[in-house]
Amino acid sequence: MSDMIRTENLSKRFRSTSALNEATLAVPEGAIYALVGANGAGKTTLIKLLMNIFHPTSGRARVMGIECRHLAGKDFQRIGYVSENQDMPDWMTVEAMLDYLRPFYPQWDGALEQQLVRQFDLPLKRKLKHLSRGMRMKAAFASSLAYRPKLIVLDEPFSGLDPLVRDEIIEGLLDRAPETTIFLSSHDLAEIESFASHVGYLEQGRLLFSEEMSVLSDRFREITITLSAPSPVPWNIPPTWLQVEAGDAVIRFVDSNFQGQATTRQLAEIFPSAGDISIEPIPLRSIFLALAKTGRTALRKTDEGKAEA
Amino acid sequence: MKQILHIFAKDCRHFWPEILISVALVGALVWIYPSTWLSKSGLYAVAGGAFLPGMLEAGVLAALLTVLVPVSWWLLIARVIHAESLVGDRQFWVTRPYEWKKLLGAKALFLVAFLYLPLLIGQCLLLFRAGFPPLPFVPGLLFNLLLITAVIVLPLLAITTVTATFARLTVTLLAGLVCFIGYVVISLYLSDNASIPYRDHVSLPLAFCFCAVVVVLQYASRRVWVSRLVLGALPLLLVLTGMTLSESTEMGRDYPRAGAGQEGPVRLALLRDTPHPATAYLDRAKQVQVSIPLQVSGVAEGYALVSGPVRVTVDAANGSQWTSPWQALNNQQYLPGTSESWITFQMSRAFFDQTRSTPVTLHFTVALTRVQAGNVRSIPLPTQDFSVPDFGICSPQADVFHSRFFGIACRFALHQPNLTYIRARWMDSPCSASQPGLDTGVQGDAWMGSLESSPADFGIAPVWSPSIALSNGTKMEGNQPESRYLCPGTPVTFTQYNLVGRTQYDFTIPDFRFPSYQPIRGSFNGSMGFDITAQ
Repeated sequence: MSDMIRTENLSKRFRSTSALNEATLAVPEGAIYALVGANGAGKTTLIKLLMNIFHPTSGRARVMGIECRHLAGKDFQRIGYVSENQDMPDWMTVEAMLDYLRPFYPQWDGALEQQLVRQFDLPLKRKLKHLSRGMRMKAAFASSLAYRPKLIVLDEPFSGLDPLVRDEIIEGLLDRAPETTIFLSSHDLAEIESFASHVGYLEQGRLLFSEEMSVLSDRFREITITLSAPSPVPWNIPPTWLQVEAGDAVIRFVDSNFQGQATTRQLAEIFPSAGDISIEPIPLRSIFLALAKTGRTALRKTDEGKAEA
Repeated sequence: MKQILHIFAKDCRHFWPEILISVALVGALVWIYPSTWLSKSGLYAVAGGAFLPGMLEAGVLAALLTVLVPVSWWLLIARVIHAESLVGDRQFWVTRPYEWKKLLGAKALFLVAFLYLPLLIGQCLLLFRAGFPPLPFVPGLLFNLLLITAVIVLPLLAITTVTATFARLTVTLLAGLVCFIGYVVISLYLSDNASIPYRDHVSLPLAFCFCAVVVVLQYASRRVWVSRLVLGALPLLLVLTGMTLSESTEMGRDYPRAGAGQEGPVRLALLRDTPHPATAYLDRAKQVQVSIPLQVSGVAEGYALVSGPVRVTVDAANGSQWTSPWQALNNQQYLPGTSESWITFQMSRAFFDQTRSTPVTLHFTVALTRVQAGNVRSIPLPTQDFSVPDFGICSPQADVFHSRFFGIACRFALHQPNLTYIRARWMDSPCSASQPGLDTGVQGDAWMGSLESSPADFGIAPVWSPSIALSNGTKMEGNQPESRYLCPGTPVTFTQYNLVGRTQYDFTIPDFRFPSYQPIRGSFNGSMGFDITAQ
């Protein structure tokens, strides 16, 4: 299976600010790749680099085998791009916009267009500037899905939408999933957890990881250890244990490198007096919260270290 | 082509109000502009210099329209280019299958359809209304469109492609205008304002190329900062070009010196014993304008000389010296019969004050253009429009009752005519029914036109109607000036002159004493602007 998107040490600086720092990722064909991270993490920058809206400061990126710097014109006949902050031709009605865009795409599927219009309940005669935010997004989706793109790139597509509209859009998107690759950014973890096959995490311009969702879920566990007596956190805990909290004879942490029996043996060695060990899978949201908090603490320590030096 | 037409059709649907405004303004120009030449002709004659009611307003409106039409282009260009803005990262179109060449083609097609074509049609109609069949002038009209592209459209396009919104475009244009005015004011303050002698062959092509590069660069790559740098470098380069182009080199190229031993085409010397001696006016705080009467001789029969820029070196008795830059204050014509003329230059007030009390030697270098008389057409003055071949269409300027003519008004297609010498005889008394004789009355003459040979001069309107001011048109009756008459049937002679060559001519005036300068006062002249009068 070939990669639809591949970046290597992709970086972007805006004057003195590093918006993206040596991001390397690969999105295989057919994947639903969710790029997550807090606001300002660099998600939009990465997507705009992929779409040749920004030009990278260093590194390289390829989309559908094409160097991003050269992505133009007909290449976009196979790419559907929807962004929460994209300008639209507001003076057009929904119908006029679809009519206008249709000739740009030789593979435009009129039947699919009609289906999307019905599915999203789009008011064809209304001008885009008079549509609600949700309706505008649905119109943008319809205009980007009707030509059956090979790659759909979505920048915060669900941001600020009410749950009903969000579900409608996700449903429309998933209908196209078998025939396309989807790359989307979001800071709303709960909504992507249900359908993303791959996930990447950006923290302050750094891509902390990029992997399959199932691997990620298997890798993270919340571990709660009940001790026979109150005890401080041992000094020799591995760095893959995140957010270690010690309470009254209870130690709780997130293991980011859970390996089944091997982890159990390791726990027994570190906590020989453990009475009860609870190992639970955790939702994506908790994984990212743990990563985010740990990442910020680490970054803060790094900054403090630099300041002292 | 399909995509070009598709985007073009979308822009037509979207910008029909802007299109309508622009086309309507061109239509209004076609309707109103003829008043500028009709007001000078017999049909809408003026008496005693006063416009007939309505004509002044029409003239002002016509002038206003020649400004409003480009302003409407500004709006049109801004709207159509910003519809697919090249600046920013949120545009709808950048992630759609637009091909930049086709997008640029669509915008070019839009401008051709709604800027150039209406203007071209409007200009043809204006030529037609002025009495010129448009077809022979099509090459000239196209050349004029090229000039309009270089001067207005392309710079506007270039700035529009590097700005995101109409407001930013406007601010950029205003800032550019303020910088330009500042540059001109500073230049005038720092330098001698008379020093504008040579033609700039570099700036317009340079600006054209830079603006074209910016437009193509923006459409091809949307490298906004690179394009802005290129565009920002242009004024700097123009200033640098202006500074590095040596006046002497330019003048030496345009006006080569005659070979050693070669006699000059004219002899100029100080005119002594004249009732009008040399004068000097304090022109500005640091400049004195000096005019010296000249004796002219030696112009060959069948030729004439047009004096151009002048450079003067003043050698003082104490050994000090002052040399002026080339100054364009002189525009005199010397005919075979010309015996007197003037030469005018500006000099430093400090040096003037230093040398005023002692004799000085003046070394002049005059840029001369030698022209040869060509076609001569003598036409009895009719009472209606009359066509002068290879010149233009003229008409007598009549008073409101058509009872007498007090001048001739002419109009020209696309550019001023070739240099032409016009002669006619004024009558002091009312015209009689008989044909006026060639020897009666007072001769009035005027020079009209230029030696430039471009197919068209830059202009929104293609008809030029400069005033022809025949000399001796008034006489003094007591203390009152009174107009003389041009009688119907009086022969009006048009002599065309063709360029023979250009050269520099040197002459020296020894032992010259500068006159005391007169302070000047400024008064506002309603029709001509700021008028300088000696106290």
